[in-house]
Amino acid sequence: MAARSSMSPLVLLLRDWRGGELGVLLAALLLAVSVVVGISAFVSSLQSALVSESKQFLAADSVVRSGRALPVEWRQRAVSEGLATAVTLGFPSMAMTDQDELYLASIKAVTEGYPLRGQLRFSREPYGQVTSTGAIPAPGEAWLAPRLFALLKVAPGDRVWVGDKPLTITGTVRSEPDATSASFGYGPRLLMNLDDIPATGVIQPGSRVTWRLLLGGEDAVLQEFAEWLRPQLIQGQRIQGVEDGQPTIARTLDRAQGFLLLAGSLGVVLAAAAIALAARRFSVRHTDHVAVMKSLGSSRQQIARLYGGSLLLLGLLATCLGWALGWLIQAVFFRLFAEQLGVAPGQVGYEPFLIGGATALVCLGFFAWPPLERRARVPPMRVLRREVDADQGQRRGDYARGAISVFGLMWWYSGDLKLTGSVVAGLLLTVGLGFLLAQLLLGSGRALGSAAGSVWRLGLANLRRRSSANALQMVIFAIAIMLMLVLVIIRTALIEQWQAQLPEGTPNHFMLNIAPGDQDPLASFLQNQGIEPQPQFPMTRGRIMAVNGTVLAEDRSSGEERRQREANFTHSAELPAANILLEGTWWSVDTAEEVVSLEQEFARGVGAELGDVLTIRVGADEFEARVASIRESDWQSMKPNFFVIFPPAMLERFPKTYLTSFFLPPEEKALLNSLLKQFPTVTVIELDIVIGEVRTIVERVGQAIELVLAVILLAGALVLVAGVQASVDIRLRESALLRAMGAGRGLLLGSLVIEFAVLGGFAGLLAVLGAEVAAWALQTQALDLDYQATPLVWPLGIVAGVLVIGVLGLLSCRRAVVVPPLVVLREV
Amino acid sequence: MIKAINLQKSVPVADGTLEILRGISFEIKRGETAAIVGASGSGKSTLLGLLAGLDTASQGDVEIDGQPLIALDEDARAALRGEKVGFVFQSFQLLPALTALENVMLPLELAGQSGALQRARDYLERVGLGARLDHYPTMLSGGEQQRVAIARAFAASPAILFADEPTGNLDTNTGNKIIELLFELNQSEGTTLVLVTHDERLAARCRRRFLMDSGTLEEAS
Repeated sequence: MAARSSMSPLVLLLRDWRGGELGVLLAALLLAVSVVVGISAFVSSLQSALVSESKQFLAADSVVRSGRALPVEWRQRAVSEGLATAVTLGFPSMAMTDQDELYLASIKAVTEGYPLRGQLRFSREPYGQVTSTGAIPAPGEAWLAPRLFALLKVAPGDRVWVGDKPLTITGTVRSEPDATSASFGYGPRLLMNLDDIPATGVIQPGSRVTWRLLLGGEDAVLQEFAEWLRPQLIQGQRIQGVEDGQPTIARTLDRAQGFLLLAGSLGVVLAAAAIALAARRFSVRHTDHVAVMKSLGSSRQQIARLYGGSLLLLGLLATCLGWALGWLIQAVFFRLFAEQLGVAPGQVGYEPFLIGGATALVCLGFFAWPPLERRARVPPMRVLRREVDADQGQRRGDYARGAISVFGLMWWYSGDLKLTGSVVAGLLLTVGLGFLLAQLLLGSGRALGSAAGSVWRLGLANLRRRSSANALQMVIFAIAIMLMLVLVIIRTALIEQWQAQLPEGTPNHFMLNIAPGDQDPLASFLQNQGIEPQPQFPMTRGRIMAVNGTVLAEDRSSGEERRQREANFTHSAELPAANILLEGTWWSVDTAEEVVSLEQEFARGVGAELGDVLTIRVGADEFEARVASIRESDWQSMKPNFFVIFPPAMLERFPKTYLTSFFLPPEEKALLNSLLKQFPTVTVIELDIVIGEVRTIVERVGQAIELVLAVILLAGALVLVAGVQASVDIRLRESALLRAMGAGRGLLLGSLVIEFAVLGGFAGLLAVLGAEVAAWALQTQALDLDYQATPLVWPLGIVAGVLVIGVLGLLSCRRAVVVPPLVVLREV
Repeated sequence: MIKAINLQKSVPVADGTLEILRGISFEIKRGETAAIVGASGSGKSTLLGLLAGLDTASQGDVEIDGQPLIALDEDARAALRGEKVGFVFQSFQLLPALTALENVMLPLELAGQSGALQRARDYLERVGLGARLDHYPTMLSGGEQQRVAIARAFAASPAILFADEPTGNLDTNTGNKIIELLFELNQSEGTTLVLVTHDERLAARCRRRFLMDSGTLEEAS
């Protein structure tokens, strides 16, 4: 029996390392682990940063919103569970000065601790230096929005009255984190202390107010609190999280998260491809080593222990180094882009590190180990005499198992089957079609080559001769290019749709309560100021009472899912823009039918379906209307949208006001003052802050996406380099032989460039096909985007394939013409 | 002792089966030196690989010191090789990632022998490469590489040494030196030596000569 070997896997590894055999594999492993860890950690840190940033829009992690005073025990319970709390109360009220100047202000009263997330920015003077103090107005004090100083003709130190309570003006509110989600706001802000509210006497039962209990703390505790609270909520009370605080931002973040996950997943696949290529080269080069060791008396177990152990050590070493490097990459990213991104790094978590390590070990296990293990079972003479081809030590089963495990990793990473499935569909198409097409194309390459000059003939003959190895290489190039194209396509679609969502000049102010008599003068006023007037929508307040004669519950306390709903009704002869008809048909322009169109969520809320008859109350009148259509409204469009729309004839008899929107550039904000002076009954809702915040988030996320795209492109480039490297040995050897036989530099380099460029061009073509399928599936199935054709990727994919692979091939093989042929022959 | 019993080897080819060895039987006793000569493609190297247990026969058997190889699986054959057999390849088969010294140490380390370093150093000095211990194979000439291969083969003190065209890749002068070295070590170590060669000078140094022709073997008188 063989004695126990005194050689350890570590010794083998060290000798291999020193002998220069590990460089490529270690580099691939290291890059793969660090790219996966770097991207995943960056993405994960960015995500938690963006989520925490978006929590600022709530000024809390979670908010309980109510139309009536919040029971004291709710806050007590939250505090006892260890949650941070604060309360805000918002309502519109007249602010009055000692000089009897009046203005309808949007009052917000807050308690100590507000805001729990984000910062309240304040300045002493209306347009003075901004500071974030962490303080709120003390009892007896008020902070005013800058515009309100002008409207009320007051200065700091003056007094302002809210109801019966005089407050001293001690500062200016410059920005509130929750200005967007807590906009009670029909007028400029007046911020005061909640303790002063009883003294104002303005809050009476039935007053239109919004109470908000702000909560901050661990997700699990918040969840528990929400579960305790939910059964107690009645109509007009709800719990808000980030996702429902600001739907536009939530959706932006959602899609960005989808993109970043996709990018990370593609990083995993690219890293796996790089390792697979390097591992394959490693095992091919080590095939003879195994045979020699066997001829010297090594048993299979010994080989398994030595090579298995040394691969494992290598994997662990690369994993540890890759972790450190990956962590560094994400830290550097954040440092480099901290200013542009405007967010502080969030928590990274351990998952990126696990995935990075698993990628390395899984790829080594499935791609490097099987051929070596298989060689250990074959009589050594057959290996040394090339009776079994070193290349074919790797079998389709290995690739299949490797691919399945890589997809497993991708799924684990993204946690999204649709996303993973979309990419896999594209990859399968690329691989399946690829091998088929590769054979055909490479065959036609020869037909073309035999008619062409000698450089072409040699280049194309080389392609043909190694057609099965080239098919594999082409498919790997195609996969790398495809993944890069997918990301470029998705990024373009995402950014374009974001830009289309809120184009420049999107109306950023809404006007409500426009009396019918003010309609034309208001339009002229805006026009005179150079502001483009938008359509005016009639608005009538009403209530859905019953569906098909069944009276709906009045509030949630009854436990009924379906409830009466009050809403602003409008009438329109045509289907408004930003609305899509889901069911039913739109009425003819002059219809006299008693019909109504409902927004889908609203319809669900009252439990109405197409064809149902609704009982509706407007003022003291009750009437019936049949649901003629169900619509989807784009609430992200920031355009006036209505839950309930009637044909014009049905609402004619009811009193109505009008609603419109317009775009006001920030520098013309003062115009609002003269507008409100001239039309004092009109209420203006200022959405410029909301839109500004959404734009900022979109911009930041857009930058993050560009950054991640750049990293993925780099990872893709590495795969291409590894792919070229994988075939360099055989090409160098053949070129050296040709050179030894007198072939000139031009012929060799020319044929190599042709060989690689044709491979690259075909790979580009395959990549475009796969990318189109994956991008379509991703856009329509996984990322909730509208499919956009991107014809540009066709030339881009093919030209990039030709150029990049051609140049990389040339660079990698230039040794063939620089170094004496004998040196090359002895080395490879 | 090496015994070949009706040894046959055939491989499938496109139009049927190619018979490389057609029933070869012979015996070589301990300490003997034997040369197998013949034209290219006559099956010499295949026979040597079978005798060394580096490949398996289609039919027939090989016995080494009375142990039939047919009864052994790949691992048991490897163990037997590690214990009793050394092999010198025509193309040297040194591991490119290992230095000359490490290549010679390799069989000793694989067998778990102590003092591998010193022993390998000694053998390299004996083959005249004491000054090239830390050189990698690519830094050595063909003759030097073959000398490392010979040192590696003898270092494990095999009972039998097989050499496949040991001078086949070398010039006459270097080939002569390698022949000298091989026989000198063979004599001092008392090894059984079986070699395959084209080289008449090398064959002439062996006590027994076998002629291989189209898969059959005959001992020359």
